Amino acid sequence: MRGSQAGQEIAPPSADSGPALEVSGLTHRFGEVLALDRLSFEVGAGELVGLVGRNGAGKTTTMRAIMGIVRPDHGDVRWHGHAVGEADRIRFGYMPEERGLYAQMGLAEQVAYFARLHGLQADAARRAARSWLTRLGLGTRMDEKLVALSHGNQQRVQLAVALVHEPELLVLDEPFSGLDPEAVDSLSDVLREQAGAGTAILFSSHQLELVERICRRVVILDAGRMLAAGTLRQLRERFPAQLRVKVAAQADWTSGLVGVRVVGSDEDGTLLELDPSADSQAVLSAAQSAGPVEHFAFESGGLIDLYRQMVS
Amino acid sequence: MSTPAIVRLIAGREIAERLRGRLVRWMTAAAAALVVAGVTIPGLIKGGAETTRVGLLGSSAQALAPTLLRTADATTAKVLISDVRSQADARRDLLDGRLDVALSLAGASAHVEVKQTLSAATRAELQTSLDAAHLRGALARAGVPLAKVLPALTAVSLHATALKPAPSDEAARAVAAIAAALLMYVSLALYGGAVASGVAQEKTSRTAEVLLAAVRPSQLLTGKVAGIGLVGLGQLAIVAAAGLIANGLVHSARIPASVWVLLPSFLLFFLAGFLLYAFAFAAAGALIARQEELQFVMTPLALPLVIGYVLVFAAIASPNATWLKVLSLLPPLSPALMPARIALGHIAWWELPADALIMLASIYAMIRLASRVYANALIHGGERLGWRAALRLDETATAV
Repeated sequence: MRGSQAGQEIAPPSADSGPALEVSGLTHRFGEVLALDRLSFEVGAGELVGLVGRNGAGKTTTMRAIMGIVRPDHGDVRWHGHAVGEADRIRFGYMPEERGLYAQMGLAEQVAYFARLHGLQADAARRAARSWLTRLGLGTRMDEKLVALSHGNQQRVQLAVALVHEPELLVLDEPFSGLDPEAVDSLSDVLREQAGAGTAILFSSHQLELVERICRRVVILDAGRMLAAGTLRQLRERFPAQLRVKVAAQADWTSGLVGVRVVGSDEDGTLLELDPSADSQAVLSAAQSAGPVEHFAFESGGLIDLYRQMVS
Repeated sequence: MSTPAIVRLIAGREIAERLRGRLVRWMTAAAAALVVAGVTIPGLIKGGAETTRVGLLGSSAQALAPTLLRTADATTAKVLISDVRSQADARRDLLDGRLDVALSLAGASAHVEVKQTLSAATRAELQTSLDAAHLRGALARAGVPLAKVLPALTAVSLHATALKPAPSDEAARAVAAIAAALLMYVSLALYGGAVASGVAQEKTSRTAEVLLAAVRPSQLLTGKVAGIGLVGLGQLAIVAAAGLIANGLVHSARIPASVWVLLPSFLLFFLAGFLLYAFAFAAAGALIARQEELQFVMTPLALPLVIGYVLVFAAIASPNATWLKVLSLLPPLSPALMPARIALGHIAWWELPADALIMLASIYAMIRLASRVYANALIHGGERLGWRAALRLDETATAV
């Protein structure tokens, strides 16, 4: 694993045969703005990786660099161990953040056209286009123009364009934005199924609970740098465990505990951060000696909490 | 996939999109109709225009017929003679346009009626005939044997030599020159504009980013220019064929013989002009941020097209002016000026190869420049870009 000076990689590569996609040392400037700063991460075949970060963190530029639409100033993108080339990229599927298709073109014709640009023969392209449109619930509207469709349905066509040539890598920029809950579920199913079939998938999202539900691993960006990467559990281990204790007494019982820091205190109890060396049982004893313990539990440590802890 | 295969795919989509549009079919039909009308109508109108129809009223006038015909022969005029029964008939025929002139004689004076004016040529012809008839009568009355005198009266024949003869089809050449320049201007503006708006649409609808994930900017640009260019060439070929067929059917022969040079050279100049302008228009289309800005970036590029067309009128007025020869070698002006000058027929042998060289070099330079601007600007977000800013940008991975 390539260590990055800025981000702290934790996870070892998950796939046994090495990662499918490797991004290493990606650095890019737009004028004065440093959009990417020595960014490195990997995506294994069959792995779903979420790219997380606030607006302007560098998610879109990262994805464009992978797709060859932006040429980074430094760093490289590798596919199965070699520098990614046109022959590889033609087998990638891409859904940009700002969706875009030909408004006046029929659905089946349009999806088949993009399939052909990705190397499919005319017949295979037509078949694949029809089968994906049917699968995404647009089977009865194949010959309609894109412009006749609702926003949500246009989004499905965009997804069909990304999937139609059975890509080995899917790069999806905010694929869930603007979708209703039902569409979110069906897109999640499609992504899981594609990953199950061996496709490497990288997608970005602001909806952290969604990322948490779908992804095994996340990469967290901030201001073009990687804050962290790894599975949720690995990310949790990087931060001190948070323990909430409520004692039915006003006395200060926390002083004297080793490796324990008080984060805050309110009517829900006292929030403590425990160093790895700290003993939670000692905390419990101290609490009990102060009075009856009404609540004693580790905080969940969801992605949202972790993200807030990291960017704060 | 190989680059030619990708370019074919992209060009194929462009062609399909344009042929689907009803506008293109109507435009082709309208242009063809215009050319057919232009070819046939002058031919039909000019059919009988040079013949003077003379009506002779009364027996003494009618006796003039042989003399009138002889005079017409000598002056190479065409005269059609008929007898008219009454003055009322003559006037009706004159007013209805069935007669041009009605002639009656009363003793030594002749009277002519016309609808509007009596042309000098017709007046001279009638006067000559009357003089000849009067002279014969006088000679006969004086007892002079006519058989001896008459050959002497017609012994002198007139031969004319032109020092600087005007080409017989000068007017037709001028019409052909203007038509060629106008058609060039309209075609280049139309198809160049189609390239610009196609690029602008792909940029503003963000389709470009999806496309660039699969193909290079240069492939996308080449395919688009090739597709639209082929549609343009096809339409022009249809219009030209319609014109030639109409000409063949009507036998108008008003088209100068140089049309066989003009037609292929027009298509070649269209091809060269289209490449030059289409790439420039494509780059312009990639600069904008909103579709409404398209006209703004296109107008300065279309200006030389208009200038080239307007200069054709100067070329008709003074076809040998040096400044015009120089201007017609300038690549933005060549496509309209050169075919027009070919039609006018005042072109030196070296001008065409020289122009071809200059044209090829500038097309090459334009493709390089425009491709760079296009590749840099196509997925650039934010405000409309200037040309220089777009050249300096270097965002795109695979520029040209």
